[in-house]
Amino acid sequence: MRFFDPHIHMTSRTTDDFEAMAAAGVRAVIEPAFWLGQPRTTVGAFQDYFASLVGWERFRASQFGIAHYCAIGLNSKEANNEGLAKEVLELLPRYAFKEGVVAIGEIGYDEITDAEERAYIAQLELAVANDMVVMVHSPHRDKKRGIQRSIAVAQEVGVPMEKLIIDHNNEETVEDTLNAGAWAAFTIYPHTKMGSERMVELVQQYGANRIFVDSSADWGVSDPLSVPKTAKLMLERGLDAETVRLTTWQNALTAYAQSGQIDVEALEKAPVIDQSQLFSDNSVLRGQQPRVDAPIPN
Amino acid sequence: MIDQARDWLASALASRLQGPAAVWWASTADEIAAGVSDEVFVARLSMASRHVRGTAMLAPTADETAQAAALQPGWNPERWTLQETLRVALILARTDVLEPSFVASFEEAFRTADEGECRALYRCLALLPNGERFVWRAGEGCRTNIGTVFQAVTCDSPYAAAHFDDVAWNQLCIKAVFVGAPLWRVHGLDGRLSADLARIALDLMDERRSAGRDLQPDLWLCLGSHGGERARAAIELELAQGPRSGRIAATYALGRCLDEDRLRELVGGNDADVADAATRALAGQCGQDAWALLDPLAAAAAPLPNR
Repeated sequence: MRFFDPHIHMTSRTTDDFEAMAAAGVRAVIEPAFWLGQPRTTVGAFQDYFASLVGWERFRASQFGIAHYCAIGLNSKEANNEGLAKEVLELLPRYAFKEGVVAIGEIGYDEITDAEERAYIAQLELAVANDMVVMVHSPHRDKKRGIQRSIAVAQEVGVPMEKLIIDHNNEETVEDTLNAGAWAAFTIYPHTKMGSERMVELVQQYGANRIFVDSSADWGVSDPLSVPKTAKLMLERGLDAETVRLTTWQNALTAYAQSGQIDVEALEKAPVIDQSQLFSDNSVLRGQQPRVDAPIPN
Repeated sequence: MIDQARDWLASALASRLQGPAAVWWASTADEIAAGVSDEVFVARLSMASRHVRGTAMLAPTADETAQAAALQPGWNPERWTLQETLRVALILARTDVLEPSFVASFEEAFRTADEGECRALYRCLALLPNGERFVWRAGEGCRTNIGTVFQAVTCDSPYAAAHFDDVAWNQLCIKAVFVGAPLWRVHGLDGRLSADLARIALDLMDERRSAGRDLQPDLWLCLGSHGGERARAAIELELAQGPRSGRIAATYALGRCLDEDRLRELVGGNDADVADAATRALAGQCGQDAWALLDPLAAAAAPLPNR
């Protein structure tokens, strides 16, 4: 099978992860801009980060046969540093329209402060003005109300619900998200957000319509193989192959391809790895023989 | 109060620093008091690590702890390290703590601070006058991913309860539960319970139960008398099916919403842990300090650095 992981922070992951993901059938990823585990202190740090998402990280993924797309945005946590946030918001139009940027994201609420809301609205307006998809991070704390407010504010700003992805849903929030007409993404984390077992039960209850899974793997304890592992469990539990395909490949593709930035036809073809390619004269190799191989079979 | 705090810190350091470390502390305090550039100020804070190891605890005597509580209610240096104490003393050695120049330099120190420096800088909030000047910085401290820093901002200090608005306060409480910080050590918790905090805690209980997970015992601290029927139903569910620590905490929660009839029933019930907790709750021992008994670290009475 092939899989689309529509939320993963590859900048925090190693080439071992890339190899394991490719071997498990992960063929495409979306890397949304987020915070790096500690707060940045200058706008230059954001600039270099955004540049790496559309540059080096995309190249790195390509070297393992994985298509890499990204979302550009100011995360909710760092929106609370309002002076810096203003500078970052001014920077966004320089990166948000670059090739392969499939959404504004991940944006939304963390503590549900006024500063977060101002940054959220400004970015929703940027998305609406440019007909872009929006990836919304939902908060850990006061999640249910955070999601309700994320959706209500997006509606007020005029985001079409089919272009809104609410991420990190759980059993208590999924109905609000689906009833609004938005896409409901579920992050499969080992200990906090969702486990594969619970995801299977959710899909059994709610079906596959507008639901998809992601790993949100990052610098913390997380699993870049969450999507293929969850697919495996779904099949073992008797969910039909089409449901699994929809929730681990097609729905995410459909949602984010609205950006026009995913060449679906090219993605459907088997990738060819050519590690002899260079990015600004740099290779991901450390003296190994470049791997130039036949397409990965589906 | 700031002068008393300086005296307390100087006295604590005098009895613990020896040789070159004692000499360095005295001369550096004088240097900072005379006025230094930001560059020198932040370098001196860093250099404290060259004179006192980060693993040494302050370990205040009972008298010292009592004096601390008397000069600043809610301040408890029991879990401070010696290095934190030295750095706090260096920061308070500045003579401009009431001036805008202090606010600017204090903030500048955060920009390049490492984990240990962040802890010391945030520890100062318990002692600095006109604390409202640092509300944004304290909120930023609560956004940290680093548990030790989060506890330095929130625990054993009167700062948050005195200065945080409701949004920041509720976030602090729920984040403490999330990251496993001892919420009962957040001074003033019981005075700032609210219907909104109770609702957020009850929502989180629903999420945890939907996920098939146990509830953190500290969640029961967030209800007080504000949870209404929803809280009563949640408490009964926990008493029926929760783990030992959860059943005890839920019993205290009953005490906090003053249901003496139900507590008396529990005293006569089959669950010995719950009966014992109900007896304590009926005696009024269900304030936030009661949760110390459920805190493995406090129970071991052996505070650890860099936890």
